[in-house]
Amino acid sequence: MATNAHAEGEGRQPIVAHHFNNIRQQQASVRFGMWVFLVTEVLFFGGVLCAYAACRIWYPKEFEAGSTALNPFIASINTFLLLSSSFTITLAIRAAYKGQRDGLRLWLASTIVLGTVFLGFKAKEYYGDYEEGLIPGPQKTLVDDVDATGKPVLREVSVFAVNLKHVLEHKNAKAKAISDKMTWNERDRTQMFFVFYYSMTGLHVIHMIVGLGLLVWQLILAQIGFFEPTERHVYIEVMSLYWHFVDLVWIFLFPLLYMAGHHSMDGAF
Amino acid sequence: MATTHTPVTTPTTLELDYTPQTAPPVVDVDGPPKVHYLNHSFGWLSWLLTVDHKRIGILYLIPLTIFFMCGGIAAGLVRLNLIQPYGAILELDQYNKAFTAHGTIMLFLFLIPVIPGVLGNFFVPMMIGAKDMAFPKLNLASWYVWMGGAMFFIAALLFGGLDTGWTFYPPYSSKYSHTNVIWAGLGVFITGFSSILTGLNIIATVHKMRAPGMTWGRLPLFVWAMYATSVIQILATPVLAMAVCLLATERIFGVGIFDPSLGGDPLLFQHLFWYYSHPAVYIMILPGMGVINEVITCFSRKNIFGYKAVAWSSVGIAVVGFLVWGHHMFLSGQGIYLGMVFSVLTMLVAIPSAVKVFNWTATFYGGQITFEAPMLFTIGFIVLFTIGGLTGLFLGILGTDIHLHDTYFVIAHFHFTMVGGMMFAWQAGLHFYWPKMTGKMYSDFWSRLAAVIMLVGFSLTFLPQFVAGYHGLPRRYPYYPVEFQMMNILSTAGATIQGFGYLMPAVYLPLSLFFGRNAGANPWRATGLEWQTPSPPTMHNFEELPIVTHGPYEYALPSKFTLEDGHAHETKGGNGGH
Repeated sequence: MATNAHAEGEGRQPIVAHHFNNIRQQQASVRFGMWVFLVTEVLFFGGVLCAYAACRIWYPKEFEAGSTALNPFIASINTFLLLSSSFTITLAIRAAYKGQRDGLRLWLASTIVLGTVFLGFKAKEYYGDYEEGLIPGPQKTLVDDVDATGKPVLREVSVFAVNLKHVLEHKNAKAKAISDKMTWNERDRTQMFFVFYYSMTGLHVIHMIVGLGLLVWQLILAQIGFFEPTERHVYIEVMSLYWHFVDLVWIFLFPLLYMAGHHSMDGAF
Repeated sequence: MATTHTPVTTPTTLELDYTPQTAPPVVDVDGPPKVHYLNHSFGWLSWLLTVDHKRIGILYLIPLTIFFMCGGIAAGLVRLNLIQPYGAILELDQYNKAFTAHGTIMLFLFLIPVIPGVLGNFFVPMMIGAKDMAFPKLNLASWYVWMGGAMFFIAALLFGGLDTGWTFYPPYSSKYSHTNVIWAGLGVFITGFSSILTGLNIIATVHKMRAPGMTWGRLPLFVWAMYATSVIQILATPVLAMAVCLLATERIFGVGIFDPSLGGDPLLFQHLFWYYSHPAVYIMILPGMGVINEVITCFSRKNIFGYKAVAWSSVGIAVVGFLVWGHHMFLSGQGIYLGMVFSVLTMLVAIPSAVKVFNWTATFYGGQITFEAPMLFTIGFIVLFTIGGLTGLFLGILGTDIHLHDTYFVIAHFHFTMVGGMMFAWQAGLHFYWPKMTGKMYSDFWSRLAAVIMLVGFSLTFLPQFVAGYHGLPRRYPYYPVEFQMMNILSTAGATIQGFGYLMPAVYLPLSLFFGRNAGANPWRATGLEWQTPSPPTMHNFEELPIVTHGPYEYALPSKFTLEDGHAHETKGGNGGH
């Protein structure tokens, strides 16, 4: 194979690792390995999506209320940022493929910036949820309620339920209408939606942090000229596969979490 | 896919193609190579930082053996406790912790990683003519991840124990158990990632690292089995990881996903759990089945009967194995129609499994069978696995399962497939490949005796449990009616014999390192690529890139080497004695 000549390239270490026969085999293995890894990731998120689907079918009202309490504005901005970062990392592959070191650094850096801004907004959103007290937990409190005969009673409910009622009533008219139709039991059970909200977005954030770490590492490598032998563009390529996957997960999470209410048939008529 | 098993020439003409399927074992006479993978560098760092797939295989072997001993001791405690109807030695919670320790250690720390970790790492690259796995550093990383997860597990079991059983069913595990569910769950989560990474590595290796001429139709069946196993590992394990994550969330934050009193559904956990854990039993048994192919062909001196059928039956088991998880929940409140569908699908698994057993039996037919230790283990495997498989059908049928559910019948069935199947296959593989891994031959007499003792002990342990379970003795209970005492005593006696059987290889195999004779490159006259390398293999396995021109089991064709140098290979049915 002609590519064998590249084995003793100008990089600090040979381009082709000792156990591969040629660069084509190495590139194919790297690409293939990342695809197989992404299959695993699909199943990983598949597990929680499956649990989400089951619970949403059981409790559509609670999921609608939970979704209404979230902040779709920040999430929309974040969707835009993440989709843009998928575009910039694709440009980074092209730059690496053509051997343009400046272009590679520019586009890797842009991707990192877009991802970091995403995380910043996400942190702001989490903080907002925290301030509103939308954190599931076992803490209980007492509220005024009426029993079946209309007699006023004190009722033990979770702190979360009280906070949720407060948030929905002060959000807008539609949210208040949703809240008014809910019983205290249903408000309690809306914690389940928030468990999914925090675990799904939390896992996504962990994946983003890992991805950003790898991108920074690749930016450093680009700085010291690791990607000068353009055969190594394959590493940027598999990085982008991972990044696109993280993007794709968000594309699933956005409608599932933020639009669960608006598309619910309940209350549309 | 190329058809590969048509001989190029027919053996009736004088122009026989005597191209050796096995290159002459060049180092047979001179002893092992001077520099091989074991002695090219020294010091513990050279082991802990190695990326050589062979050394990583050895790295797996040692802790796996220790974990097997731990799991075995826990099993011994349970069996000892059961010789009296009201418990002989353990308190009630100790009993719960002992059987949970046995189950979790054996499954997560032994059965799942044992053959992929040791034999898969060591031999998949050698069998396909590669210098290493596709991702050597990832390979080492997955060992570290596995050891890390195992440490969490061991810590959970040592400091307070775990009493949920290996299945972690909520709401007991999420709400009521006061034991270390979180730490054990973390152990499952982390070892699961190691399992995924190993599977990923093997799939990439099989796809991309095959030597020239090593077509899919020429892959040794062990590689096919490992491939199917790896597919299950990467598709099923992440779902368990997610189920354990959700369980931990529920336990830590006290919110309901699985707890019915908080609006959750325990059946949801069981679905997610068995979506992994049923395919996981195929993760455990498929590599064992792969080993059996190699051993049977070698000691029958025959090509495998129906190569394609056996290869695709591995894939078939992997695929159908994903569709049957619901048969664990016939009595858990799952819909009756769903149960019927799962019952029918469960029957389907019997087909590829039976294809394998019939093909192995047909491979025996007309073969020149010799009874070395690996072959004895293999015959034990076939008999015990067949019993285990057939009794599995009793449990897969809705009606009989209602009677047999959660009885000792299930225990006996599971142990017939996992111990009678996988453990015997592991012993067969270990004994078959020990000379290649270490370059030394172990004692012929003691190894055969160990095989017989394990078989006798195993049968005595678990055959009575079929009867006890059929008569209604429930699993996991510390107390039982007096009329079951005889069965339990028989079982405990068998377990004791089995224990001695497992201790024997732990003695004679290490002794062979010091006192065994040199095995030579190919002591079993096997045909696979891995036997063309010296024993122990050198660093990069092959001096030059091998070119493969034959299928893996061309025992039927006379090789030039056996015709000319037959004296070098006299085994007389033994493996050479002292």
